[in-house]
Amino acid sequence: MTGRLLPLLVAVPLLAAAVAVVVRSVPVQRVLAIGGPALTGSAGVLLVVEHRAEAVIANELGGYLPGVAIPFVSDTLTAVMLAVTGLTSSVCVWFLVRTGEDRYRFVPALTLMLTAGVNGALLTADLFNLFVFVEVMLLPSYALIAVTGTWRRLGIGRLFVVVNLLTSTVLLIGVGLVYGVAGTVNLGSLAGAAADDPWLGIAGGLVLTALAVKAGVAPAHGWLPRSYPATSAGIMGLFSAVHSKVAVYAIYRVYTVLYDGQAPWLPVLVALVALTAVVGAWSSLGESTVRRVLAFQMTTGVGHILLGLALFTQVGVAAGIFYLVHHVVTMAGLVLTSGAVEQTYGSGRLDRVHGLMRREPWVALLLGAGLFSLVGLPPSSGFFGKVGLVQAAAGSGGWSGTVLVVTVLLAAVATLLAAQRLWVMLCWGAPMTVHRPDSPATGRGQRTRLPDDVRIPWSLTLPGAVLLAASLSLFVLAGPAFAVADQAAASLLDVAAYARAVLR
Amino acid sequence: MTLALTIGVLVAGGTYLVLQRSMVRIIFGMALLSHAANLLLLAAGVSAWRAEPLADRTSAVDAADPLPQAFVLTAIVITLAITVLMLTLAVIGHNDDTRRMPETGETHDR
Repeated sequence: MTGRLLPLLVAVPLLAAAVAVVVRSVPVQRVLAIGGPALTGSAGVLLVVEHRAEAVIANELGGYLPGVAIPFVSDTLTAVMLAVTGLTSSVCVWFLVRTGEDRYRFVPALTLMLTAGVNGALLTADLFNLFVFVEVMLLPSYALIAVTGTWRRLGIGRLFVVVNLLTSTVLLIGVGLVYGVAGTVNLGSLAGAAADDPWLGIAGGLVLTALAVKAGVAPAHGWLPRSYPATSAGIMGLFSAVHSKVAVYAIYRVYTVLYDGQAPWLPVLVALVALTAVVGAWSSLGESTVRRVLAFQMTTGVGHILLGLALFTQVGVAAGIFYLVHHVVTMAGLVLTSGAVEQTYGSGRLDRVHGLMRREPWVALLLGAGLFSLVGLPPSSGFFGKVGLVQAAAGSGGWSGTVLVVTVLLAAVATLLAAQRLWVMLCWGAPMTVHRPDSPATGRGQRTRLPDDVRIPWSLTLPGAVLLAASLSLFVLAGPAFAVADQAAASLLDVAAYARAVLR
Repeated sequence: MTLALTIGVLVAGGTYLVLQRSMVRIIFGMALLSHAANLLLLAAGVSAWRAEPLADRTSAVDAADPLPQAFVLTAIVITLAITVLMLTLAVIGHNDDTRRMPETGETHDR
């Protein structure tokens, strides 16, 4: 019964997007843009509860025969992703409303279409539909960069569009090859198929490669930290919450379903994961603006999340999923908080903003809490995320476990250095009396006197604060959160049950 | 074999063009690559020449696999939309010459 409602998670945001285009009233558009993702996110929470009774809920769209129909499937992992991406995007759109960026034309509609694409990509159990929904997710993103951007931002829009379109084409070629080898692209029918068919393994490998580039896995990570910081903070928060995370989710799902066990090319996966985590963390040490540091931290986060997949034990996957939730919430919180600083003081460059501790003690505290979480120091959600990963890696034994433990530690050291540098440069030092806001035309700043009473308004700080509070609550409620992550890992690894539900 | 060679030539040309700096060339390159992807999808479903998959005209035995054709149709629509978007970016962005880096929003002053 619940299965029949699954397509609504795509249909409702799409319909709301259409309404947001037609109805030009500001309050209606704002309610739709914030409420849409919040609604699907809450539906995700309900689904998590529902999945305690029924592990996999599937719907064959249009009532066609199983295997022919387009399946929408939800298990605990899908539900967790729906909840986290939905609620986080809703807070990011709230921030967009506070900065006034939602008044650019079509922005409310575009964010709703983005939500629809994300939900579709999470729910679909068909590789070709995954490609379609990834495109549905990317098209509004191209427009969001172009619409909310300055002329200079269009340059970065080109990079984002070309890289994503190229990888989408590779994804499409991979899907075509999978169809050529297996005669189906339904994940239910493909369950465990690549384990004994090397040709399908190659075709699936191409699909996974394309998804890895979209997720920002090193050595193809360079486009992400170059393009995200060039957008505005609200848009970057939105993208960081959905884009690479949907790709990571798809990697988890496709890899598990295709191989139904560890892939024969495990060493390659371990090497890529280690490289991503370490390179991202060390690169963030040398960046010059807050959001560029955070963008490289996103890369290292993707490495940590995929570490769970490289371990491929129940504990490891659960730790990876917990890390994913922690990373989405914390990163979006940090990006929005730094966006509030940027919005008020005109720049996010580490050498132009200083002495925030005196002017904005609360914002400095928030930034500190978020950075604690990135490094993995208690009390923060990152602490349990990293403890979980290290424990799982140490418990798995073998050479890969050792490599992955060393990876987490190396990345943590670099992140600690980068976080310290960021916080010290922003929050310590003499109080600001003059500032140099970035000019939207050239990026160069004129020295302007900063009046004493300029403060970041509460309404701008609040969205980031809410997300960082959620991150802190993941530390306090780590027990129940890990129970959900464990349930999600169990449902992901039980490929047979997934296939049964899809083909029922 | 002809199909495979065509796909190979398209991918080679597309890759060369995508590696150029000018946005218009990149767009042409992407168009070639997506043609290659579409041909590959067709090749995945139709191993030999078969009849059109219409229920009242041909029996299921002779009919071609309709699913890859549906894939290609979807992919063509998506490619068309994105090509238009990229052409717009090429027009309204900066001078599309090959000597200058596109502006990235990064500056070097202190």
